[in-house]
Amino acid sequence: MTAGPDAPTDPDPDLAAAAVERCYEQGWTDGLPVVPASRALVDRFLATTALGPETEIGRLPQLDRVVTVELAAINAVMAGCLPEYFPVVLAAWEALMAERAAGGGGWQSTSGPAPLIVVNGPVRSELGLNATGGVFGPGFRPNATVARTIGLIVRNVYGIHPHALEQATQGLPGRWQICIAENEEESPWEPLAAEAGLAAGTSAVSATLLRTSEFVDNRHTGSAEQLLADFADTLSRTGAWIFRNASAGIVFCPEHAQQLATAGFGRAEVRAWLAERCGRSVADLARAGKDGLDGMVRFADGTRADGFDPLLRGPERENLLLAVAGARNAGISMVVRLFSDWSGTAVPVRGGAA
Amino acid sequence: MSNPILDPTGRAVDAREPGVSLLAPRRPDLTGLRIGVLENTKKNADLLLTELSRLLVTVHGAAGVTLHRTKQQFAAPAPPELIEEYAGGCDVVVTGVGDCGSCSASAVADGVLFEQAGLPAAVVCSDAFAATADTMATLRGATGYRYLTTPHPVAVLSPDQVRERAARLADDVAALLTGPLR
Repeated sequence: MTAGPDAPTDPDPDLAAAAVERCYEQGWTDGLPVVPASRALVDRFLATTALGPETEIGRLPQLDRVVTVELAAINAVMAGCLPEYFPVVLAAWEALMAERAAGGGGWQSTSGPAPLIVVNGPVRSELGLNATGGVFGPGFRPNATVARTIGLIVRNVYGIHPHALEQATQGLPGRWQICIAENEEESPWEPLAAEAGLAAGTSAVSATLLRTSEFVDNRHTGSAEQLLADFADTLSRTGAWIFRNASAGIVFCPEHAQQLATAGFGRAEVRAWLAERCGRSVADLARAGKDGLDGMVRFADGTRADGFDPLLRGPERENLLLAVAGARNAGISMVVRLFSDWSGTAVPVRGGAA
Repeated sequence: MSNPILDPTGRAVDAREPGVSLLAPRRPDLTGLRIGVLENTKKNADLLLTELSRLLVTVHGAAGVTLHRTKQQFAAPAPPELIEEYAGGCDVVVTGVGDCGSCSASAVADGVLFEQAGLPAAVVCSDAFAATADTMATLRGATGYRYLTTPHPVAVLSPDQVRERAARLADDVAALLTGPLR
């Protein structure tokens, strides 16, 4: 067991710790240790994309900050990604850039929104992205580090730090941790990216910003309508409702999705059913001071005749994102709250150096 | 061979010159000056600024409100054509209310832009957002830029409470618009 001259040298943990501490001193971390980025490692990331390192992939004019491919690669290294994850990071970032709030004031918002990143296609198994049990994390390197990269880019490149330009009142648990692979194998429906218009079998990323997520546990009924009514109740709570309408999403567990599909519900039918029934009476909204409708933001009015205000603007895809992920071991799904609109787009994962 | 840790911020190559801003020259008082109001759609912002500008006219001798616009994208700084319109249409500006994470920062950015266009500006922010307002001032090369705060929260105030806030702010707004500069 003696180490010969050709044996690999064990990395020096004290040197590693010193490099990690240097990153803390510079204010470059989200609170957890980061992987210090070397030129050689960043170059391996850059070799996975045809985009040049100086290519601009994001801009916040109000802060005069620009994200380049090189800066994204440095932050991906620091988040703990492997080089082969980088095309997924770039697709996730591009998908987020299609969100109106991500190009505006979303990252600075009091609501402290979290990116929701959904991955489809063969890249899931190629990289080992978790699509099944415990899909909201933790425990899987690509899920954890792709999502974390987005947070590090916002912090380091945009310079949006908590208590300064980042004004989250409370933020939310798992803010930079929500990257899920869709469980296409156990979903009865077409992949989310295919619904967005990409060819089936395309590796792609969809993304939006969330305000929170909350579970619906229903192992109680075999009726699709009763199951959907349980979702409608959670979706319709007044606390999450700010404007005339609100957007939301559901990450169905396979069991719930299959139960609905067996009863003849596709994604479109689920959306139509929920768009018709999600909402509250004017009296309910008045009790919460949210019945007034004159402007953009609801207000305490108290003068409206009773009636029914629908939650969703309509049955379109952009108003209710539907995905399937998780284990097939229980009827437990997640309602997600969208920060603003969802673009409804999916971005292909483009690998390969030029 | 040197093997440095790479900087993830990009700021070494993108550093702004500090202190490039120049505040607009002030008149000794508001007599005869035209007021521009720019409100940012936040709840109670329009009423607060309307009431403030009314007091600047009735109490402090300003000529009247010659421009009153709504900033459609509260998270973004005012576009150049809007700044230009104010530069041509009024003598001093009252703007706000910075009452969220992005709009408080961008309200301060607007204040600096107005000053650079030659218009004394009074930016009103909720006092809960001073940290982000100050950070934006530094980003705009205007560290220490003075703006006015009103106690948080603003959005839930009744119209009478908003008028009371305006009455409490009016003298400070007049003072800020007439100097001294810092």
